Formats: sequence, structure tokens, C-alpha cells
Amino acid sequence: MIFHPLILALFTASLLTGFMVVYAAVFGAQILRRWDLRSGSEIQLGLERKTYLVSTLLSYAFAAELLSLALFVFTADRIHGFFAGAMCAAGTLKADAFGYPALLLKATNAVLAGLWLIVNAADNKGFDYPLVRTKYAGLLAASPLILAEIALQTLYFLKLDPDIITSCCSTLFSQGGSSLGSELASLPIAPMRILFFASVVGSAALGLAFVRTGRGAGLLGVSSAATLAVSLLAMVSFISIYIYELPTHHCPFCVLQAGYHFIGYPIYASLFGGAIAGMGAGILSPFRKIPSLSAVIPGMQRKLAWTAAACFLVLAAIVIAAMAASHLTLPD
Amino acid sequence: MIALDRARKVFGQGRPNEFTALHETSLLIEADRMTVIRGPSGSGKTTLLSLIGCMARPTSGRIHVLGREITSLPERFLTEIRRRTFGFIFQQFHLIPGLTALENVILPAYPTGERRSVLEKRAAGLFELFDITAKSRSRVEWLSGGEAQRVTIARALINDPAVVIADEPTAHLDSKLSGEFMATMGRLRDEGRTVLIASHDPLVYDHPSVERVFHIRDGRIDGESR
Repeated sequence: MIFHPLILALFTASLLTGFMVVYAAVFGAQILRRWDLRSGSEIQLGLERKTYLVSTLLSYAFAAELLSLALFVFTADRIHGFFAGAMCAAGTLKADAFGYPALLLKATNAVLAGLWLIVNAADNKGFDYPLVRTKYAGLLAASPLILAEIALQTLYFLKLDPDIITSCCSTLFSQGGSSLGSELASLPIAPMRILFFASVVGSAALGLAFVRTGRGAGLLGVSSAATLAVSLLAMVSFISIYIYELPTHHCPFCVLQAGYHFIGYPIYASLFGGAIAGMGAGILSPFRKIPSLSAVIPGMQRKLAWTAAACFLVLAAIVIAAMAASHLTLPD
Repeated sequence: MIALDRARKVFGQGRPNEFTALHETSLLIEADRMTVIRGPSGSGKTTLLSLIGCMARPTSGRIHVLGREITSLPERFLTEIRRRTFGFIFQQFHLIPGLTALENVILPAYPTGERRSVLEKRAAGLFELFDITAKSRSRVEWLSGGEAQRVTIARALINDPAVVIADEPTAHLDSKLSGEFMATMGRLRDEGRTVLIASHDPLVYDHPSVERVFHIRDGRIDGESR
């Protein structure tokens, strides 16, 4: 099992990311302790030279972190055939105790990695390292989560046993059960539908409003985070059943399979892309007052807001298209 | 004004071949003046010019050029400063063989994105100024030493820099050409540019256009004259 090419790829990516994060975190601690741009000391000049290298390498590590979320889910889906009872990634992830916690941490860390990349991009545009402390403080805060994710992912794959009979997604995400998946599947469809479209369209509108007026980035950030949470709930609650054309099938993973034209990938990509871009626009707002960034941050925020709006509109369009094409008819 | 605040440069630090090319150095080089760094070979002249011209970073200390601190700048900002602020004239000319004099001169301006016709017009003005218009379409390997030197100066000026830096510019020139070179530098100074020359040639540091001479030896400034 462990020698499956996809699992080896994930291990390798995790090892490299873990090494880079630990190295960068140690360097970040030095930055927080010793950084003083007014000083011309050898230590300070060494830190200035090194921070560019470290943050560049870390950018690649965090970009890999974003991709590894997709690869992790793809892998979980591809290896479901090894486990009796598993029909998709839902069953594979349930095959031992570490699958879902690993997925949850990977999703969280993907968002954090995206936000760090945005802050780093802003810092690189300032001539005086304006966000160097902020981004390394963020890294230090995120590094335990990333290391925990690597540990959980490793444990998950190591503990996988093909002899174990796992649950299929119909059981995990069935209405009426007591598990978290069942509770999500039992969420009322009509209110969730309204909440989903209101949050997605609302966030897109906030993004477009920011592009036009340059105001409301903070609100866009909060709204994008809320849209991410609501959309994930909506995926289980009602989007899935329209795609499967089955009112009892709430699985958020089967949509990643060929039988459903891999529609889950564009859905999740547009959702996470929009959420990260929208939150990124919000997170940059406090830095607009920094003199060396005041000229560049508004432009970055406009691009991010535009990206968020575009992603959310694409998400809404995919879901509407899936609902329109579905033969499922739900009672009012 | 160019200001060095305890700038120091060590090569191969922490290795057996560690060498301090420039010990802690603080000095002020006034704008719109012609300044010469005078010292024997291996005294640290080129290192000092490299630090000021953003071609190397100091091991410690800070350098301010025209009011801006440059040692902390990330590389992408230094590139723009090198391109816009400094014009470099090297001892070995460093012209690119196979290209014409005109192509060599406009080469540093390519990354600015200006139209080639604009660059060629500007270069033509420089060729005329240095009386080498007839050679503009000639390959640089066909030029005499004096002509190559003037092409090098034209190349240094193509981006209209505020500071002209010359490293041992007369090392390969005879006395007549050296005199012409210094006269040209004098004209550039009169136009309001800061001229900084490293040399151990008396034809340079004794030239009447030179306003200040710093003496450097063993990586330390050990005096000044004028």
C-alpha cells in the first residue's frame, strides 16, 4: 500500500514541505528576535540576504501544499478499490482513524498556505521588507499545524490495512445517523440552498464592488471565509444529490469520479480559489497604510477581489448548471 | 551624495581563504563632483566601487546613494537602481564581440522597454558627442583602443545615469587618450553628474578636473587630498 506511486508522491512532497517549514521556522524565529533594518550589522545583512532565499523556497513548499490537498483527495479516491466497502474517497478516509483528521488539516493548511503566499507576494513588492515579521510570525503559528498534518497523513497511510472492511459513503453521509457526516446530510435543503447562493453571489458582488470602489476588502475577506464553510456544508446537503440525481446520496467525494465527469474538481478548485483570494484581499487591508506598500496593495487587492468574484461566479454557474441538468425533482 | 557607513566586505568568510577586501569604511562622496579612489592594485578600489555601484553587497555596514539606503534592498530593486542610477566604465571595456558599436551602446537600455528607434536616436547623439559616428555600425572588435573606450563611455551614458563609475579606465590607454578620457569625465561632471573613478594612474588623480582624492591601501581609507 505504502509503495503506491501516489502515496510515495505525497510522502515526498510532505517530507520536502516539512523540512522547508522547520528550516524556515527556525530562521523565522531569528527574524523575529534579531531583525532591525536600522542596523548595518553582519547579522542583519545576513538575515536580509537569507530571507529572500528562504521565502522563495517556502513559496514553492506552500504551492506544493496547495496541490497536495488535491493529490491527497485524488489518491484517497484512486485507492478505494483496495478496501472492501469503500466506493470512493469517503470510505478510504474512514479506513483508519487518521484519514479525516488528515484531510481536515490539509484543507486548513491549504488555505493558510494560500494566505501566506499572498502576504509574501505583498512583502516582496516593498523595498524595505515591510511584512517580514508578519509573514514569519504567521509561519511560526502555522508550522505546528503543517507538521501535525504531515504526521497525520503519514500515520494514515501507514495504518491502512486492506483487510479492514470500511464504510461506504452512503453510510457515512446518510440522513438520520448520529455521525457528523449524517448530521451534515440532514441539513435542511431549502434553507441551505438559499444560504449557499446568497453567500456565493454575495461574496462575488462584494468582490466586484471592491474592484469598482476599492472599499470593503475586510468584509469580502469575512464573507469569503463564510462562503467556504457554507459551500462545504451545501455540497453535502444539496449540491451532491442534484449531481447524483439521488435524494439519499450526499457524498462530497463521489463527485471527483469519472462517472460524474470529475465535476467535483472544478467545484472545489473554484471554491478554494475564491475563498483564498477573497480572504487574501481582506488580510492585506491593514497593510495599505505602510508607506512602501501603499501604492501596490490596492492593485493586489483589486486582482484578488476580481479573482474571488470570478471564482465564486464560476462556482455558482457550475452548481446551477448541475442542478438544471439534473433529473432530480425535490418536493417543495 | 554617496555615503558609506562602516561598510566592510569579506570574501570567503569562514573559509580558510577568508579575505577582508575592505575594512570598516565610512566616507562621504559629494554629488556632482569628480572623486578619485587612489590606491595600488589589490588595495580594495574595485571592491569599494562594486559596493557603491550595487554590484556586490557589503558584509556589514550601510551605503546610501542619492538619499536612498541601498544595502538592504532586495535584488529586484537593485537591478533598477543599477540601470537608472549608475553608468559603468570598466578597465577591460567588456564590449560584446560580434555586435556593432551601436548595438553595444543601446544594450543596457533594452530592458527599459523603450522603442529601439528612440534608443538609436539617443545613441546617435552620444556617438556624435564622442566623435565616433562613423564607427557606430562597425563591430567592436574592429575598433581601436581609443574608439572602444569612447564606445564604453557612450554605453555608460545611454540610460542617462546620475553617477558614472569608472574602474581603472586609463589602464589600457596612452597618455593622449587618457587625457581625452579625463576631459570627457570633466564634461560629464559639468553636466551635473557625479563621477567616481578608481585609479592608480597619476594622469587621473592629478588631473585638474578631479576635486577630491581618497587614498586607499590594504582595504582601508588612509587619507584624502584636494
